[in-house]
Amino acid sequence: MFNLLRMDLYRVRKSKSVYICFGILLAATAAIFGLLWLMAVPRGQELAVRAGMLTAAELAESSAILKGVDSLEMFRQTCLNGGTYNMVFGIWIMLFVCSDFQSGFIKNVMALHQNRWKYVGSKIVTAGIVDFCYLILHLLFTLLVNRLFGNMVPYAKLGPCVFYLSWAWLVTTAFAALVILICVLSRSVAAGAVGTVLFSSGVIVTMLYSLMNTFHMGSWLKYSIYLTLSMGPGEYTAWKDLYVYAVGAGFLILYTAVAGVVLRRRDI
Amino acid sequence: MPAARQAGEYRKGETEAVRTERENTFAIETSALTKIYGNKAAVKNVELKVREGEIYGFIGRNGAGKSTTLKMLCGLASPTGGEIRLFGKPVSNPAVRRRLGVLIETAGLYPNMTARQNVVMKARCMGLTDERSVDDVLRLTGMQDTGRKKVKRFSMGMKQRLGVALALLGNPDMLILDEPLNGLDPEGIRELRQLVLKLHEEGKTILVSSHILGELSKIATIYGIIKDGELIEQITREELEERCQDYFHLQVEDVRRAFAFVQEAFPDVQAEVADDRSIRLYGVKDGAKLNQMLVENQVAVYASGFHRMDLEEYFLDRMEGGRRYV
Repeated sequence: MFNLLRMDLYRVRKSKSVYICFGILLAATAAIFGLLWLMAVPRGQELAVRAGMLTAAELAESSAILKGVDSLEMFRQTCLNGGTYNMVFGIWIMLFVCSDFQSGFIKNVMALHQNRWKYVGSKIVTAGIVDFCYLILHLLFTLLVNRLFGNMVPYAKLGPCVFYLSWAWLVTTAFAALVILICVLSRSVAAGAVGTVLFSSGVIVTMLYSLMNTFHMGSWLKYSIYLTLSMGPGEYTAWKDLYVYAVGAGFLILYTAVAGVVLRRRDI
Repeated sequence: MPAARQAGEYRKGETEAVRTERENTFAIETSALTKIYGNKAAVKNVELKVREGEIYGFIGRNGAGKSTTLKMLCGLASPTGGEIRLFGKPVSNPAVRRRLGVLIETAGLYPNMTARQNVVMKARCMGLTDERSVDDVLRLTGMQDTGRKKVKRFSMGMKQRLGVALALLGNPDMLILDEPLNGLDPEGIRELRQLVLKLHEEGKTILVSSHILGELSKIATIYGIIKDGELIEQITREELEERCQDYFHLQVEDVRRAFAFVQEAFPDVQAEVADDRSIRLYGVKDGAKLNQMLVENQVAVYASGFHRMDLEEYFLDRMEGGRRYV
């Protein structure tokens, strides 16, 4: 698997898509900070009122928009809670895996490595590494932009940041495993893109919620990837908060195992 | 141009014992190899045997089961039944797979990467750390000067050559090439032919499938013909030459009369009426005597001469179920 990992990391470095997707995340973060500056900071509000974006009556309400928000909450709200991060990261994973099948390079790989678990394992580890880099660099960028906009929100403590990033990394890597499973099943960019968008935007969870709620089981979806990312704890307060790790690890193992079985059973 | 070595020939520095061992070892050996998709058998009980050092020409119509067989040999498809042994070991053996270089159907290449980056990818996949081997295979296939040009801008022929470069990486003992001539221009075909013969000289076993039978006949030392998933024939080059027997082609004014005279004067000769003016005669030794006999009997002869069936004709003949003699 180490050789496959070396190959995958080489391709990550050489591909443009990993930088483009990260650029989209950063651009979205910068745009949200810009909008909040216009709505919540007095100098920005002046500009917004002059431009007709805000009325004087709305000023008081919009000033309170950042109340109780720190840099970690800001980081969550900009991308992770709504599923934007999973969508962008998922699309990158989808392009990364599906191109193996679409280009036919998978034949070169599988002719050498008959153990299909190595392939799935390598993709998961690569996704985990890229995910880790995305999250860390994205958080640092959020802190930098906050600074550039005149410290709009107070900085969060290190402890909650580490706790949140660790479980968010596990859960988003589990989402990557789901995307890899979709790609291994469909081997198509179109199907992979549709699957990624539906799962990351919460459409599937919402549909399932409506269905399961009729059987009074809607609360179970609290343990889905989408809702865990949205509603998971921002800091550790009690042992019950650790459920997020179980959700991440559980889905990661499940999707990896199914992807491996699917790849083993199908010809290349 | 070097010709492919025949079976039984010695290689440079080879002793009798080494030659005997080489000739008795199968690089590929399948038994009852079968692949079923749904209710249809794509490959049925194929018993393929390729000795080490041979160039095996694998022939068959589209959909005959060539690519499926080759995919199973490469481990890209699992057989429904039967067994595959490469160099005497099961195909799943990782050590055996490293001795294999493959080009199946189209070359699998990342379109947004350069030729060198694609080869480096495969090298990393194989665990090769020395990038000199990357440059070696690029040089060997004439792809060393493509620079920063992306694969998506390559011609079909360049892609095929790069596919061969990927197959050659790691100096494999056996190459499996499925339609490697696709998209190559005449110069590219000649270069690839020379490359295959050079690799054969180095002792590599090569299994190649192609629809360009004229080219295949210039390199292969043994042929396998697959029809509807069944390997209907394995034939060496020498056997093929024997079977592609000469026939004497006659173009005459009156086929009926000519046919009757030939049967009367040459009872040992087998005759086949090709069309309303042509007759094919098998077993003729003296063409001049036959011509003279026909002219003396006032049968006008427009053209005559000896003909040798080539691989393409032989293949088509086998596909049609054998020659029909009159």
